[in-house]
Amino acid sequence: MNQQVRAPDRLAMPLPATIAEAIGLEMERDPEIFCLGEDIGRAGGVFGTTKGLQERFGKHRVIDTPITEMGFSGMAVGMAQAGMRPLVEIMFVDFIGVCLEQIYNAAAKIPYMSGGKQRMPLVIKTAGGCIGSAAQHSQCLWGLFAHLPGMKVVTPCSPHDHKGLMAAALRSDDPVIFIEHKALLLRKGRDFLHHPEVDDKAYTLPIGKAAVVRPGTDVTLATLSATVEYALAAANELAIEGISVQVIDLRSVVPLDSDTVAASAATTGRLLVVDEDYVSFGLSAELLLRVIDKLGFDGLSQAERLAVPDVPIPAALSLERAVVPGQQMIADKLRQMAKGS
Amino acid sequence: MITADTARARFCRMAAMRAFDESCLAAMRRNIIHGELHLGFGQEAVGAGIAEALRSEDAVVSTHRNHYHGLAKGVDRRALLAEICEREAGLCRGRGGHMHPFDPQTNFSATGIVGASVPVALGYAYAFAARNHPAVAVGVTGDGGSHTGGFHEALVMAGAEKLPLVVLVENNSLAISVRFNDISPTKTIAERASAYAALGLHVDGTDVDAVADVFASGMQHAREGGGPVIIEATCHRFRGHFEGDPEAYRSKEERQHLKDNYDPIVRYKKRLIALGIAADEIDELQRQEKTTMNKLLLEVINLPMPEVSGAFNYRFVEETVS
Repeated sequence: MNQQVRAPDRLAMPLPATIAEAIGLEMERDPEIFCLGEDIGRAGGVFGTTKGLQERFGKHRVIDTPITEMGFSGMAVGMAQAGMRPLVEIMFVDFIGVCLEQIYNAAAKIPYMSGGKQRMPLVIKTAGGCIGSAAQHSQCLWGLFAHLPGMKVVTPCSPHDHKGLMAAALRSDDPVIFIEHKALLLRKGRDFLHHPEVDDKAYTLPIGKAAVVRPGTDVTLATLSATVEYALAAANELAIEGISVQVIDLRSVVPLDSDTVAASAATTGRLLVVDEDYVSFGLSAELLLRVIDKLGFDGLSQAERLAVPDVPIPAALSLERAVVPGQQMIADKLRQMAKGS
Repeated sequence: MITADTARARFCRMAAMRAFDESCLAAMRRNIIHGELHLGFGQEAVGAGIAEALRSEDAVVSTHRNHYHGLAKGVDRRALLAEICEREAGLCRGRGGHMHPFDPQTNFSATGIVGASVPVALGYAYAFAARNHPAVAVGVTGDGGSHTGGFHEALVMAGAEKLPLVVLVENNSLAISVRFNDISPTKTIAERASAYAALGLHVDGTDVDAVADVFASGMQHAREGGGPVIIEATCHRFRGHFEGDPEAYRSKEERQHLKDNYDPIVRYKKRLIALGIAADEIDELQRQEKTTMNKLLLEVINLPMPEVSGAFNYRFVEETVS
């Protein structure tokens, strides 16, 4: 019998369905992958990123936990030590405060503290980013994880990258923090400005490789997660005005691919780093310095950054827009840079 | 009634554990170990008492005061001492040190964070149950750790799923300086078991025979699918929380009183004599353990320190040199 599997309509597919597909494909090929977290089973995740997985793989592999982040994040450490490959969902990255202990003191350090004898194949999947949910449900915090040694920190934007990087995270023997962006989780494929197309079969992408998502000659803009989309929209706006912006999606914060950024900045001479995380002691300064280290103090004519100033994210939309870099703020900054020499 | 052979073996185990920590203390005094050192003097009956019922497939996740539990689980004594002495030949190549021994071969690990051992042990318990593997996970903590959120959360999950988790609480009644009786809402920790549909057992942690019996029954309960168990072993810490602790929270007299009355090794000597073992033989057994450890320490001290060029190795898989 010639049975035809209908290919999913990728443009109509919500991003969470693509993530669930990636996890499901990996669970099929590796019986040691177990998912645990709040509302990930019967409900399929508050954003739907684990939808249908409990039905397919059973309650023992897709575990609805009680609200016990310290308990189940530590449980995942023990599962990994016992030879499993746990995927933990911390519903919102802001909740990491109640269980950071097991993440940064146990998962991240044990491979090193054991002299490489104990591997830690553990993925923490969590949602960050601003969608108007105020101070305790809007943070990105990738800079926090990156500051603490021992974790790979993955921050995808496009549906294509979400699928390939999730598969890579689940196949990695290192602890990986996989930070989704809530604004992207609410999108369908057609809403993306780049790479909405996704292969049906399983594939991986290398963790630690940035991607040039738009070529350009006047300014290099390096960013990550949902801001890649805002940056592309801003770059489209500026193209009409005759300003050519090269946009780089970093895709991960650890490892940070500063080589790709430096190579681009060497040709444009102008570098803007845009980060939805807090500005101080964070990704923006780190990346700028790494590029300056490579190119020298004279290698750039301009080095600028846009990031969230050191305030909690406000509830009022007017205030959120004033502190979180969006399309308008990015476009204004690029115009200002293009005018300078 | 136990046999003289069993009693002799239990005594030797306790003597070996104390001799191990005496070697650590000697190494610290010679500046071979730097940083914090938490010794187990006074708690040997717990360490030795759990050894018999532990199987190689079981897992133990221990605390900052972990040497005795590691030895009970079968961690190589030389590798453990070399790790505590920060040598490249140590269990973790000198990266972990005394508070962070990891031995995947024996399913032994530890944490320096109070209470954090119990959730990790829960993970092992989940893995064993998911694989229908008749192994038990033991999470060791102290009276201090029993008050943490992680202890509660792990037991909620273990109780709901009837997981093979044994939480061994070494209640030495001092969370550094804070006395158990001053802060606990319950007289014992074992009685909190009912909140988690767990079995709660209490034992005199200075009596190695009692610990062996109670621990074996708790392990059997968990192994046979009865769900989690809290075993509270009351004991006494003879030295400070860490070496160098000024112990301003208790008097010299109090400490001396504990040593005079609750030393598990001294107490057990009386039982050996009652079983017909000569006092001379007992002393000789203890001397042998000390001699063995003295030799081992000398050997370990002469091992090389880790090469500075390897300081960045082992964070990620690609940095692991096999």
